[in-house]
Amino acid sequence: MVERILIFVAGLLAAAIVGVALFWQPEMPERPLPKAVIAAGGDFTLQSASGPVALQNYRGKLVLVYFGYTFCPDICPTSLAATAEGLKQLTPEELARVAMIFVSVDPKRDTPARLAEYVDFFHPAIVGVTGTPENIAEIAKRYGVFYAEQKVETAGGGYVVDHSADTFIVAPDGQLVGKMAHATPPDQVVVAIRKYLNQP
Amino acid sequence: MKQLSLLAASLMFSAGVLAGAADNVSVQDPYVRLAPPNAPATGAFMVIKNNGDKDVKVVKADNPVSKVTELHTHINDGGVMKMRPVPSIDIKAKGEAVLKPGSLHVMMIDIKTPMKEGDVVPITLSFDDGSTKQVDAKVVRPMAAPMPAAMEHKH
Repeated sequence: MVERILIFVAGLLAAAIVGVALFWQPEMPERPLPKAVIAAGGDFTLQSASGPVALQNYRGKLVLVYFGYTFCPDICPTSLAATAEGLKQLTPEELARVAMIFVSVDPKRDTPARLAEYVDFFHPAIVGVTGTPENIAEIAKRYGVFYAEQKVETAGGGYVVDHSADTFIVAPDGQLVGKMAHATPPDQVVVAIRKYLNQP
Repeated sequence: MKQLSLLAASLMFSAGVLAGAADNVSVQDPYVRLAPPNAPATGAFMVIKNNGDKDVKVVKADNPVSKVTELHTHINDGGVMKMRPVPSIDIKAKGEAVLKPGSLHVMMIDIKTPMKEGDVVPITLSFDDGSTKQVDAKVVRPMAAPMPAAMEHKH
């Protein structure tokens, strides 16, 4: 009887150990953003110079998404240059599994052709897309992106667009998993990409 | 000849007293960021050192390449980066102002002729005492400049 109880207890303990081994994940030093903070994200379809671009067609790739515009005097070039430098530090195998989408927050002025020329300047892996103002607004909302036109007399075209300058990270399964702050240095970009690229 | 050296010596002696802001200022690593094609504007960056013992202000910048030249800074408003003109860039005595991407910079707006890598743009800085200094800034392809506290830590 005692033996049985002991065996039963031992069995329980063994099950507990197996359970812990399977389900307990020690906290990583750099936690992903808490779910409450992270926006929903999700799929979208917009227009590029070479036709429609749908996020859902990038399943299996890690996708960086940046919201900006081609008349952007300083913010976008700063961010895009840093991110592009990071992309250049990846191995060819890694780069083949990474994509980047530059979403225009200035659909009035940004044509697909203009966007293509702009993003190519930074890195060939970046595709520039735009859509109707309503379409862009809806996507920006889902990603938690703010943007607003500001009248500046000296700006080309009479206005600049203030916008959130984070780069969003969409995992190969399409989930929005994180974001990089404006002008994150190239080596940090590489760390962030590898972290999500190599997750099982 | 002797008179000349005397003149030079007296000039040097008085330099500390009579020098304008521009004479006490040295500029390091000036460059203009090569703009993407079709971009209407780009920025110029440099480190401006004030070697004098009086605070100076850069109140204006000019260059022949763009129609408008402004002094700008960046404000990070909850992840939204805003670029705004500033009336001046102040440099404390023995201090320096670092003009870099994502921070203070000289904004070149409405570029008249497209620039290419390696071009040199003469930028004239004007100080609050009316003195000026010309800086030759080379056009370089954008490289990432490290920014302090660029990573967001969420705990």
